[in-house]
Amino acid sequence: MPRVFITGLGFVTSIGNDAATVARNLRELRHGFELYPPFQKPDVPCKVVGTIKEFTTDSTDPEDWTFPARYKIKRELLRSMAPNGLFAHCAMLQAIEDARLAEADVSNPDTGLYAASGGSPYLTHHHHERLLKVGVMRCSPLGIVASIVGTLNFNLVAAFKIQGVSCGFSSACASSAHAIGYAFDDLSLGRQKRVFIVGAEDGNADAILPFAGMRTLSLQADPNLASRPFDAARDGFVGTGGSTVLVLETEDEVVRRGVKPLAELLGWGQASDGYNVAISHPDGEGSARAMRHALRAARIEPAQVGYINAHATSTIIGDISEARAIRAVFKEDAARVAVSSTKALTGHGLSLAGAMESGFCVLGLREGFTPGNAHLTRLEPQCEGLNVLRASLPTAPEIVIKNSSGFGGANVALVYKRLAA
Amino acid sequence: MPDAVQPAAGTTKTLPTTPKPFAPEDEAALREALKRCSPSTFEAAIQFRKTGNAEHVPAVVIGVIERFVEPDLRTKLKDADDDLRLIEDLGIDSLTMMEIVILVEDVLQMSINNDELRNLRTVGDVKTFIDCKIRGLPLPRPTKFLPIEHIGAVMPIQPPFLFLNEASVSSTAANGKYKITGQEFFLQGHFKDNPVMPASIMLEALGQLAVLYLLEGHTPEPGKVVNAAQIFFTGCEGVRAHRVCKPGDILTLSIKPKRNKMPLATFEGSIRVGQEKAVIAEEISLIFAYADAVNQPIPINGVAHDAGTTPAPAAESAGPIRAAINA
Repeated sequence: MPRVFITGLGFVTSIGNDAATVARNLRELRHGFELYPPFQKPDVPCKVVGTIKEFTTDSTDPEDWTFPARYKIKRELLRSMAPNGLFAHCAMLQAIEDARLAEADVSNPDTGLYAASGGSPYLTHHHHERLLKVGVMRCSPLGIVASIVGTLNFNLVAAFKIQGVSCGFSSACASSAHAIGYAFDDLSLGRQKRVFIVGAEDGNADAILPFAGMRTLSLQADPNLASRPFDAARDGFVGTGGSTVLVLETEDEVVRRGVKPLAELLGWGQASDGYNVAISHPDGEGSARAMRHALRAARIEPAQVGYINAHATSTIIGDISEARAIRAVFKEDAARVAVSSTKALTGHGLSLAGAMESGFCVLGLREGFTPGNAHLTRLEPQCEGLNVLRASLPTAPEIVIKNSSGFGGANVALVYKRLAA
Repeated sequence: MPDAVQPAAGTTKTLPTTPKPFAPEDEAALREALKRCSPSTFEAAIQFRKTGNAEHVPAVVIGVIERFVEPDLRTKLKDADDDLRLIEDLGIDSLTMMEIVILVEDVLQMSINNDELRNLRTVGDVKTFIDCKIRGLPLPRPTKFLPIEHIGAVMPIQPPFLFLNEASVSSTAANGKYKITGQEFFLQGHFKDNPVMPASIMLEALGQLAVLYLLEGHTPEPGKVVNAAQIFFTGCEGVRAHRVCKPGDILTLSIKPKRNKMPLATFEGSIRVGQEKAVIAEEISLIFAYADAVNQPIPINGVAHDAGTTPAPAAESAGPIRAAINA
C-alpha cells in the first residue's frame, strides 16, 4: 500500500497567518483571542473570539474586503467567495508554495481537493434578506455559490483548476478530519497522487452566535481565560475561523518531485456514538472506537503513541468524554501519553478544527516540539490521571494522534508519524 | 410568512417608463449602488432619474459595464466603438452580465428578461437595447457575427476579389476586418517593388461590406428578400485616403446605412488601421432589388452549412462593384 505524506501547509488562523508564526505561538503558548467588537453589546452574552488578523471581511461585498497585499485575487474570483473562501484561497497559495508545487502539479487528473466549511451563514442571511426585500430577480447571481455549504470546494476547485477528486465534507466539527481520512484512502488505493485538504470557517458573529443558544459558548470576558480545555473552571468554547490547507501526496510523488515531506499520515479510523444529536457519549465510546480503528489501521500500539492532540473544546461534557475515551484506549499508557488541546490558543474552528490541528501536529513533528495545553490551572477532576501538558515540550514524539468529534456523535482519529531529520 | 414575501412580489412588476419623483433617500441609495462607478456615471444616473431623459442612459450603461471589467481592460472601453464585444474583448462572462443587468435594473428602475439578454454581444447592442427599453421602442435585431464561411456563402463577390475576413452586422451598422496578406495579385504591379493596397480596392472593400449589410442587416418588405444578384454600385462622394496601407496591415472597415429605400441604399463608410484613419467615404450608393422570399436560394438567417442548401458559387455573376470601381 503506498505511503502517504504531508508535503505542504498553509495557515490563516487566529494565532498566525504563516507557518513560522503559528509554530512560534504554539511553542510559546500565545493565544489569538480578542474581545470581538460585534459581541460587545448587552444582548450578546459571549465576548471573546479567536480573531483573524490582517484580514477584514465584515462587509457582504467582497470588494470591500482587505487582505495582505502579497495575495493578489481578481474580482472575478472574489465575487463568489465567502470570508472562509478568502482565508482558504490564501492558505492554498501558502501550501502550494510550501510544497513547491508547479502549476502542472496542481492542475491535473491525479490531483484532487477535499474541503470542509460550514458555508457562510453570514452571506446566506444577507442574500435571503435581499431576496425578500428587493425581489427574487435582483439577487446576486453568485449568492448561492458564495454562501451554501460547499462554497469552499466550488470556489477553490475552479480557481486552482483542480481536475481530480473533489467534494465537501459535512460532519460538523469532524468535517475536515473526515476529509483527511478519505483523502488518505484515495491516495493509498492509488486513485490519486495528491490531494489538497482545506478546512475553513468564517468565524464571524453569524457563524459563532448560533452556538450560544445551545449554551456551548464560553461567557468569560477575559481573553486569557475564555478557552481552557480540561480545566475545572472551563465554561464552553470560544469560536474562531480562518483556514488551514494540507498537501497530501503519495510516496511516488514525493520521490518524483524530490521534495522532503513534513510528516507521514499512517492511517485513520472513524466511529459514531449512536447516542445523541449534539451531546457526546458520556464515556466517549465513539471516540475510543475511532482511536482503536486508527491505531489498528496504522499498525501502531498505544504504547508507541507519544502525544494526543485532543478534540477537547473546553465544554463541560465533551472534554470529560474524550478523557474517558483516552483512558479506555490507552489503559496503563494513559498516564504517560502527552495530551493537549490547542483550542486553548486558537478557539474552536468547527469544520476547520481537524485540518488546523493536524497542521499543528505536523508543524510540531517537523520542527521538534509538542504544544502544551494553555490556560490550565486546575485539572478537571474527572480528567485526573491524564498527562495533560501544562507547557510545550521542546521535543516531538514519534507518533501523534489527532482526535476530532462532531455533531451526531461522529468521531475521527488520525495517526501521524515523525520523519527522520 | 406571506407578509415577508409580499414586498418582493411587488417589485418584480414592470416598472413605469416615467420615473417616480426623485427623493433624497433615492439619491443616497443610488450613490451606494454606484459607489464603484465613476463620478460621471453617478451624475448621468441622477440626471436620468430626475428628468427621465434617455440621453443620459448610454453614460450610465457604459459606466456600469466599466465597473465590472478588469482594470487592465478598461482602457479598451474608453476609446471603444459600439462594436466592442463583451465576451471576447472585455472578458465579461454570463454571470458578470447578470451582475451588470441587476445593477442597471436597479439604477434605471427597469426590468430586463433573461431571454432579452441572450442577444447582447457588443457594447452597442447593450446601449441600443437599454435605449429602446427606456423609450418603449421595439427591440432591435441582434448583431450577427459572420465568419468567412458565411460571408463566402451569401456574397455575390468571391475570392480572389473578396476583401472581408470577418464581419458583424446589425440593423444599424456593419463592421468588418481584412488583413492585407501581400499575396493579393494586384500588389505585384501596385507599385513596382513597393506593394501598396490601392485606394480603389479599399473603397471596393467598403462597398462589399455595404452589400453584406443589405443581405444580412437590412429588413426587407414582408415576404421579400434582397436579391444578391441585383446589387450594383452607383456612386460615391467625399472619398479621402489618409494613410498608405501595406501587407500586414489589418483594415477595420465600418459602414452605417444612411437611407435604405428600394432601389437606393446609401451608406457612410470608414477604414481604420488600429486607431489610424485610412479611408473616409462620406457616401457610398448602391442600388438593389427584392426577390420573393420563397424563391430566394440564398439563406438570409443563419449559415447554410450542408451542401444541400449552400448557394452555388456566385463567381460568374462578376462582382458589379468591381466593374464600377475599376471603370
